[in-house]
Amino acid sequence: MLETTLHPQGRALPAAPNRGRRADALRWIAGAFFLAALAFGIVAWAVGDVFFLRLATEALIYGGLALSVDLLLGRTGLLPLGQALFFGLGAYVSALVLKHWAASFWLALAVAMAASALAGLMGGLIAIRSKGVYFALISFGLAQVVSKVVYNTRELGASDGLIGVPAAQLGAGLSTALPLGFFLVVLALIFATWALLSWLMDTPFGRQLAAVRGNEQRLAFIGVDPWRVKLAVFVLAATIAGASGALYPMLRGFVSPELMFFQVSGNAVINVIVGGTGTLIGPLLGSSLLTGLRSVVGSWTEHHHIAIGLLFVIVVILAPRGLVGGLAPRLQAWLDRRRDQELS
Amino acid sequence: MDWIQFVLAPQVINGLAIGVAVVLMALGLTIIFGLLDVINMAHGEFYALGAFLAVVLIGLGLSFWLALLLTPLLLAAVGYLTERTLIQRVFHSKDRHTLTLLLTFGLGVLLEDLLKIVFGANPLRLETPIAGATELLGLFFPNYRLFVMLFGGAVIAAVWLLVFRTPLGAMVRAAAFDRHMTASLGVPVHQVYAATFAFGVALAALAGVLLAPMYSVFPTMGRDFVFIAFSVVIIGGMGSIKGAVLAGLLLTQVQSVSSLWISPVWSDPLLFGIMVLVLVWRPQGLFGRLGHA
Repeated sequence: MLETTLHPQGRALPAAPNRGRRADALRWIAGAFFLAALAFGIVAWAVGDVFFLRLATEALIYGGLALSVDLLLGRTGLLPLGQALFFGLGAYVSALVLKHWAASFWLALAVAMAASALAGLMGGLIAIRSKGVYFALISFGLAQVVSKVVYNTRELGASDGLIGVPAAQLGAGLSTALPLGFFLVVLALIFATWALLSWLMDTPFGRQLAAVRGNEQRLAFIGVDPWRVKLAVFVLAATIAGASGALYPMLRGFVSPELMFFQVSGNAVINVIVGGTGTLIGPLLGSSLLTGLRSVVGSWTEHHHIAIGLLFVIVVILAPRGLVGGLAPRLQAWLDRRRDQELS
Repeated sequence: MDWIQFVLAPQVINGLAIGVAVVLMALGLTIIFGLLDVINMAHGEFYALGAFLAVVLIGLGLSFWLALLLTPLLLAAVGYLTERTLIQRVFHSKDRHTLTLLLTFGLGVLLEDLLKIVFGANPLRLETPIAGATELLGLFFPNYRLFVMLFGGAVIAAVWLLVFRTPLGAMVRAAAFDRHMTASLGVPVHQVYAATFAFGVALAALAGVLLAPMYSVFPTMGRDFVFIAFSVVIIGGMGSIKGAVLAGLLLTQVQSVSSLWISPVWSDPLLFGIMVLVLVWRPQGLFGRLGHA
């Protein structure tokens, strides 16, 4: 159906980065990102700021969602247009656990992850059957249907959502109500997720994901069932999205059906594309920059979507590799030059 | 008998009027996909844009009928420009499925916010151009809905004639089948692409104008509607004209008749359930693609 060979001059989305060459640069960028985030948290705390610390925490939470989108889109070549379904599910489950069971951070996180993994398995069985644009539209439809049902279920607060979610306790006197403490916890969790995914990409499973993206049929020829690989990555992505969502009510104290809406799924895809598809660190950077931008532009006018939409359209046309995808090769060339100089 | 006359029949008629509009939307989507391989995520926003443009034109003193004629033409120009300036730029890339989908998605976000800025988020209303109802076989049909059904049906028939019975349609089908061969035969393929995209957008705008007097007009009106249109296109088969018409009429009937028993909240899940079942049975949809059958 796709006559790719007829357009050798065409520009493609970045292929899964050649790790031998670009891994260094990506690791440098990731190191810089996490250090800068840490420094930001400490400076914000030192000057007594709460607003920006909370905003940065939210950016990281949406960064987790973006990571799950990148895992599917950048690594496996599946475009999920309904990833907010699992994000919102994690948020609702976490809010319910905190409100009605126990105000325990770990319990809420664990139950939310289990629930989203299960939902990912069910959603995956439906969505994985379809390929390409069908997958994108089916995942879009799944989220649309579930969000509508939640929106109209009185037991879940209907359009108001659940309010008055208590702060979660992490043990050792640490509570999610502390701005810096919770920021650091979220940062640590996101770092762990990033590290796990980066490691996973070098395992046989990670290579199989790249193979699904490259040529699904040939993967089957060498004895690996692409369906299983895709289902596994779909469940993994759903779990990551659910875990990120579980953090949301701890930060804001409420959940609403809007968390499952297309807006959230769409924003996650925008964050990934602007940051750099397939780079893992790019989506985190994109989420941070765009959440900041939304807040800054949002304080001027409520029509910040138009700015984000415009930026997104420009990036898709002119720089489909995104920020990190464009930056990494240049940084790598510079690193290589320096190493050559040291050797000679 | 009373039940059929006063409960079922109005739902069927209502469903048919909406069904015709859904088919127009789905035809636009499926023709654009069939030829260009582009999933137009901004289709719902073009539909809303059509409705708003009609409100503006009528506000300027034009009659509804003139607006019904002008709006699709104006939106066709918008569609033509969109194809030439935006979609054409990413069209030759390897991942054009994904890139064009993302591009039109960004465009949709942009358009929706633009509509909010210009018109505000509050719903606007358009007066019914044909008031009253007609009695047929002991049933009362609102005149405007009858008009929508007849006019929409005529447009659908015209689209079918255009695509399958004219030299212009032959060019489109040939380009969908093999664009390089078609280009070698002297068909200006790029213009065919842009014109087809424009045509699809005009159909969405037409659906927007037709439904504007029946529903309120607001910036996010396209969202739910485009979901139905997407379901129709997936069930009918992406790129299939026959599929869009049949699935469109069937699904809107299911939706409208089922609303007698189940709450409208569950009509989307029902639609989606049908879609999943059809995909399990026939992953490529019910009918084949434009230019391939």
